[in-house]
Amino acid sequence: MTDLDYLKMSKWARLAHSFVGFFASIPSKCRDGFKKLGLWFVRLFRSIADNLVDLVDTFVKGDWKTRLSYLVMGFGSFARGQWGRGLLFFLFQTVFNLYMVNFGVAYLGKLNTLGTLETYREGRRTIYGDNSFFILLYGVLTLFFVLAFIYTWRANIRQNKVSQQILDSGKKLKSTKDDLKSLADEQFHKTLLALPTLGVLVFTVLPIIFMILVAFTNFDATHQPPSKLFTWVGWDNFRQLLSSDSASYGDTFKQVLFWTLLWAFFATFLNYFLGMMVAIMINKKGIKLKKMWRTILVMTIAIPQFVSLLYVSKMFAQDGLINTYLMKWGWIASPIPFWTDAGWARFTIILINLWIGIPYLMLIATGILMNIPADLYESARIDGANAFQMYRKITLPYMLFVTGPYLLTSFTGNINNFNVIFLLTGGKPLSLELSGNAGYTDLLITWLYKMTVNDTNYKLAAVMGILVFVVTAVINLLVYNLIPSVKNEEDFQ
Amino acid sequence: MASVKLEHVKKVYDNNVVAVHDFNLDIQDKEFIVFVGPSGCGKSTTLRMIAGLEDISDGTLTIGDRVVNDVEPKDRDIAMVFQNYALYPHISVYENMAFSLRIRKMSNEEVHKRVTQAAEILGITEYLGRKPKQLSGGQRQRVAIGRAIVRDPAVFLMDEPLSNLDAKLRNQMRAEIILLRKRIDTTFIYVTHDQTEAMTLGDRIVIMKDGYIQQVGTPQQVFETPKNLFVAGFIGSPQMNFLKADLVNKGGQYAVNVQGITVPLEAKHNAILNQKQVKPMPVTLGVRPEHTTLCFDDVSNAIESTVSVNEMMGSELHLHVVTKAGDKVILRIPTIDLTDSQRASLAYGNKLYFNFPGKVMHLFDPKTEESLLYPGD
Amino acid sequence: MSNNKQIPEVDIVVDEKAGVIREIKPEQKLRSKSGHEKRVNVGIYTILTLMAIIWLAPFVFLVFQSFRSYLTENGGMVNYLLPKTWSLDNYIWLFTDEKSLFLRWYLNTLIIALFNAVLQTVIVLSVAYALSRLRFKGRKLIMNAVLVLGLFPGFLTMITLYFLLKQLGLTQNGAIPGLILIYCASSGMGYYISKGFFDTIPKSLDESARIDGATRFQVFMKIIMPLAKPIVIYTILMAFMAPWGDFVFASYVAFGTTTNYNVAVGLYQWVNVADYQGFFTRFCAGGVLVAVPITALFLALQKYYVEGVTGGAVKG
Repeated sequence: MTDLDYLKMSKWARLAHSFVGFFASIPSKCRDGFKKLGLWFVRLFRSIADNLVDLVDTFVKGDWKTRLSYLVMGFGSFARGQWGRGLLFFLFQTVFNLYMVNFGVAYLGKLNTLGTLETYREGRRTIYGDNSFFILLYGVLTLFFVLAFIYTWRANIRQNKVSQQILDSGKKLKSTKDDLKSLADEQFHKTLLALPTLGVLVFTVLPIIFMILVAFTNFDATHQPPSKLFTWVGWDNFRQLLSSDSASYGDTFKQVLFWTLLWAFFATFLNYFLGMMVAIMINKKGIKLKKMWRTILVMTIAIPQFVSLLYVSKMFAQDGLINTYLMKWGWIASPIPFWTDAGWARFTIILINLWIGIPYLMLIATGILMNIPADLYESARIDGANAFQMYRKITLPYMLFVTGPYLLTSFTGNINNFNVIFLLTGGKPLSLELSGNAGYTDLLITWLYKMTVNDTNYKLAAVMGILVFVVTAVINLLVYNLIPSVKNEEDFQ
Repeated sequence: MASVKLEHVKKVYDNNVVAVHDFNLDIQDKEFIVFVGPSGCGKSTTLRMIAGLEDISDGTLTIGDRVVNDVEPKDRDIAMVFQNYALYPHISVYENMAFSLRIRKMSNEEVHKRVTQAAEILGITEYLGRKPKQLSGGQRQRVAIGRAIVRDPAVFLMDEPLSNLDAKLRNQMRAEIILLRKRIDTTFIYVTHDQTEAMTLGDRIVIMKDGYIQQVGTPQQVFETPKNLFVAGFIGSPQMNFLKADLVNKGGQYAVNVQGITVPLEAKHNAILNQKQVKPMPVTLGVRPEHTTLCFDDVSNAIESTVSVNEMMGSELHLHVVTKAGDKVILRIPTIDLTDSQRASLAYGNKLYFNFPGKVMHLFDPKTEESLLYPGD
Repeated sequence: MSNNKQIPEVDIVVDEKAGVIREIKPEQKLRSKSGHEKRVNVGIYTILTLMAIIWLAPFVFLVFQSFRSYLTENGGMVNYLLPKTWSLDNYIWLFTDEKSLFLRWYLNTLIIALFNAVLQTVIVLSVAYALSRLRFKGRKLIMNAVLVLGLFPGFLTMITLYFLLKQLGLTQNGAIPGLILIYCASSGMGYYISKGFFDTIPKSLDESARIDGATRFQVFMKIIMPLAKPIVIYTILMAFMAPWGDFVFASYVAFGTTTNYNVAVGLYQWVNVADYQGFFTRFCAGGVLVAVPITALFLALQKYYVEGVTGGAVKG
């Protein structure tokens, strides 16, 4: 079908066409995905093979300096006068060796069982056995270290090869001073990124991998190191959280997931549209004191949420200000169960979230509305559009287009919006119908928090974390593939 | 002051797109070279490789007598003027011009001397205290040039420096660059997509297309003996007309049959064809609009056509006509020779006759698009 | 930005200051324009006034409550709004009572916020600059990895982080440096908004400076940084404000050692865990003392905040 055929169709036909097109494209998209994955694996294996061949090749062609570097890292660099690089390589190898001998090997060895030696008491003394937690944590750390070592070792060999080639072609090697200088220039990215990357590796990547592994263990209140061991249990935890027999959390999980998505939807889109309305109202010509209106609204962003939301939560309590005054004025006979009835609690949360969210959206919308070229409106006026049509045909598409990526991040952000729920209800009201201490306003993330802090049920918390990741990843992938505006940023510019 | 030598220089991007193929060029010391071609032809990429802003995928680049493939831009002794001027918005004009000198830790007096000197040459002394934002386009252009000349570089690179200016200012700045070049005698490499700029500024012009050099030569050479169809069409405005024609040979005398008329070649071209032993064949005939003549009386050896557009340019007319065979041709006719009745006869829809002498013809092989009349390098 | 100058016709008007374009229906113009216009404006003013009241009410109430003495009236929740007598008892208690650790908490938070503002800004801007202006192997990989890592919920790793900090001796009595470490360690992942800003600075400025002889480090310090002032201020502002609101992780790390609490944890304990009834007004007073300077700072630098969020939202 040509573009022209498509353009000839009516609005509904176009919609139907896109719809059919999307579903028709799923098989081929899946095929492409698999093909890409396959190619990726092929490339991976090929690169491993290439590396191995190159290692042998370098050894065969290398001089004695290069060959010795296979054993003593940095030797070649030293011997060729690049003492700075040599020293770093050598130091790294030394640290690695010491770590592995004194520490790493022991942990790696126990990684398959996570420890066998129970802690026990001998009279009044406690004899500590293995600590599963540290075995897992340091085991992962050691694996990191081993990978880093392999990479560095490989770099060390490549370094020798390159140096040899440079010397053979009659050129000079870079001195240590050159190396240091290049850190402010050609290699500046290394200087900039070294520390941040290390930070993320140790304090984000390592913990995430650790927790992913915890999801496959029985690490919970009854298996707490150092007094108790925990061990691998395979997919048991996933089963417990997802299946719906009586001992499992499946029903509760569904309930919480449903509310999480519902919440994220309302929190994102209600805020979005109402925030945009407010922006348009404030910015309307003839409205005075624009700055004042804006400042008043923006105060909710400035004031720390634990102050404002905690206070608001008290206002809506059973005996809080709202109920008291409503009763005083005789509008209601008994207090409204803002936080104690599931439906009311959900409604109130979404309502109060507007109070937090509208100002934020108002600011963004103001900035974007300013950037819509005035001639678009002039042209539309000449074409005979009225104000509402102009809003629908110009303002709204423009806003949606420009803020498409923002809407997506905002949606995922709301799935993980801990503060609002935690400070307002703490997940309450609780119910006997929900297991795992979950309440009717609990999001996956607040449930996860409760499992970690209140129940020390780390294994299920870990599973929950993985599921949150899966949910957000799926939504992101879908949106990226379905909505072109997220990808094609330039259409409107 | 230095020569620049490019040998088999190639640029391949990460996505395997080849931007520049096998670029070979010797730029003499103090020569003014212009790279010209349509957008995407690789001219800017080549310039940026010379500047060191793009890696050279293959080949060698020599500035002076040093191979500089792996030398950082700052160590190449070059200066560059960017299309959008790239003035540092947060510092004054003075500091913009002094920036490179201060980086090189030059003494304050020396900096002052050089900056004021350059400012004087460019007539921007009174703006030295201003921020770039407070300047007009032409003034910013001058500052950008000033920033380059304070360095006294061996090679002066300019990347479409005039294309952000309006037409009038562009003509003025073009003249100033010619003057500037006389004052600061150094090697210039200038990139533009505008053939007029190329013709007026360059000692030699490098015409590029799709990453390949099409022709290198003085402005006169590329205008008079274009090497191929592309060069012929690119240089000159309005564009050269191309017509289908047949090359015939009667006893060593070549002639062209086109749209019912026969035009014999002049002796010089005839000799070239004879030397190349070109067989009679269909050819693409090229005639520049300014080389055509209108025939009002004797129409026996002229091409019949119909006027579709008549553009009055003042001193000349641009007539867009359609020949009987359906080819579109543009004729450039000086108005001074036309009588009033002749002028009136050139209105829309009227018939007219035109022809051209043999010496203005360009002949191209329709398959290879190479010029048959090009004498060879 | 605003190439939309005032347009002479009345139908579409650009308000430069507010930066918004506004339309008036054509038929509206034909009818009694001013009457309709007025009614619309009155409607808007009504809505805005109502909103202003709703938005300000909690803060005003908070201030009211903070002036209700916990000694002479009731320190807990009451069912009336205005204190019967206005008193500074709560504030006096916060600063002078020996049982009050408020000043200590305040100081703790201030220290964390200051360190965080400096370190986090350096880290975020370094990462943003590297990813925006420099081209190197692994750049795309880093950006994709950050994208994927960002999809994991933050609290997932809380317990691991706690034990990591504990190994380093940075919990309980080491909570303050511990918190600074955690806030800063992964802050590089929040490079997005700053990168978006750097992306808008023309590349030719870098190139020009490099030809002029500057190293990449010099380009960063002499060209990009001065031009990035708004985003630097935005980053500092955000990094400074964040620690004031963190109570979850802070309470986890400082667990049990009240002298190492930050303001949020301390005040949160007062309302939810400690003697809820008696401490409510003191919580309000503390809240006011936290909110006022932060709000003042925020409002003063509002311009940069707006630039940051709009830029971030537009570029995703």
